[in-house]
Amino acid sequence: MKGVKSSNMDHLVPIIEIFGIEFDLSAILMVIISSIIVFVLARLAVRNLSVENPGKLQNFLEWVVEFVQSIIGMATDFKKGRIYTGLGLALIMYIFVSNMLGLPFGIVTEGHEGQTVFGQELVVKEAHDHLAWLWWKSPTADAAMTMALALTVIGLSHIQGFRHNRKHYLKHYFEPWPFFLPINLIETAAKPLTLGLRLYGNIYAGEVMIGIILGMGWIGIPALLVWQGFSIFVGAIQAFVFTMLTMVYIGQASIHEDH
Amino acid sequence: MNIVWSNFFVQLVAFLILFFLLQRFAFKPLFGIMEKRRQMVLEQMDSAKKNREEADQFIEEQKQALQQARKEAHDIIEQARITSSRQADDIIQTARSESDRLKEEARREIEAEKNKALAALKAQVSGLSVLIASKIIEKQVDEQSQKELVEQYLQNVGNKS
Repeated sequence: MKGVKSSNMDHLVPIIEIFGIEFDLSAILMVIISSIIVFVLARLAVRNLSVENPGKLQNFLEWVVEFVQSIIGMATDFKKGRIYTGLGLALIMYIFVSNMLGLPFGIVTEGHEGQTVFGQELVVKEAHDHLAWLWWKSPTADAAMTMALALTVIGLSHIQGFRHNRKHYLKHYFEPWPFFLPINLIETAAKPLTLGLRLYGNIYAGEVMIGIILGMGWIGIPALLVWQGFSIFVGAIQAFVFTMLTMVYIGQASIHEDH
Repeated sequence: MNIVWSNFFVQLVAFLILFFLLQRFAFKPLFGIMEKRRQMVLEQMDSAKKNREEADQFIEEQKQALQQARKEAHDIIEQARITSSRQADDIIQTARSESDRLKEEARREIEAEKNKALAALKAQVSGLSVLIASKIIEKQVDEQSQKELVEQYLQNVGNKS
C-alpha cells in the first residue's frame, strides 16, 4: 500500500467477478467499516446507561436523538412521526460517518494486470500504463449506494402511506385535478433520484476536489486544509438534509394532518 | 461514471442490517432510558408542585393560626379589661356601701347616745327640780296651801279613777 496518488480519477475501482456479478470490494469494505464504526459508537454510548448520571457518549447520543426528534418535529407531526426516530438516527449517523470517512486519507494499492484478491482476479477493463486501485473512500461517494439509501426510505414512505393513510395517499396522485397524474408520478419518481443523487454528488465532488488539490503538490496543503474543513461541513449538512427530507417525504405520504 | 449495480444491494442489505442491529441493541435501551428520565423529571416536577401547594397550605394555616391567636389575645385583653373595670366598680360599690353602713351605724350610735344623755339629763333635771321644788316647797307651803294641794290631788285622783 502506498500513499495518496496524484489524482483520484486515475484510480481503478477494485472489482472482482463472482458468478458473472461484479462486486466492488472497496465499497463493500467501506460499508462494513462505516457500519461497524456506527454500531460500535452506538454500543459504547449505551454501554452504561444511566437515568440520572449519563456518561459523555450517552449524553452525546441523547443529544443526537433530540436533534433527530427536532428534525421530525420540523418535518411533520412529531407525535405521529415519533416512531421514525430510530430510522432517522440510523440514517444521520450512518451518512455522517460515511461522509467523514473519505476525508482524512485514501488507501491506494498498485499492482499489475491480473492482480488477485481472495483468489479472484481484479477486473481491468481498459489498458492502463500503471494500475492503482483505490480502496478507501466514502461509501456515500457512490451513486448506487446513495440510491439504495434513498430508495429504502422512499419505499418506506410509500408503504407507510399506503398502510396508514391510504385514502389521502392514493388521492394525492390526482390532486389538484385527475389530469395531474403524470406530473405527480414524475414527482414521485424524482423524489428518490434527487434524494440519492444530491448526497452522492456532494460527497463525490468533495472527494474529486481533494484528489485535484492533492495533484497540486505541497502548494495545495492550505487549500486542502480549507477544503477538508468545508467537506466536514458539507458532510454534516448532507446527513442532516437527507434525514430531514426522509422525514418530510414520510410525513407527506403517511401522516395526514387535519387542517 | 461506472456504476457497479451490486453496490446497490450491498448498501441496501448492509443498511437494513445496521438499522435493525442499532434498533435492537442501541436505540431501544437508549429510548427506554430517555423515556424513564422524562418520567422522572415529570414526577419530580409533580412532587415539587405538590410540595409547593402543601407549603402554601401550611402558610395559609399558619396565617390563620396567627390570626386566631391574635384574636384570642385581643379577646383576653378585652375580657381582662372588662373584668378589671367591673371589679373596680364592685370594690368602689362595696367601699361606698360599707362607708354608708358605717356612717349609718355611727349616726345611730350618736342618736342612741344622745337619747341616753337626754334621758339621763331628764332624770337628773326631774330629780333636781323635785329637789329644788321640795326645797322651795319646804319654805313656802303653809297650812292653807298644803290643804289645798292635798285636796287638789285627791280631786285629781278622784277624777282619774
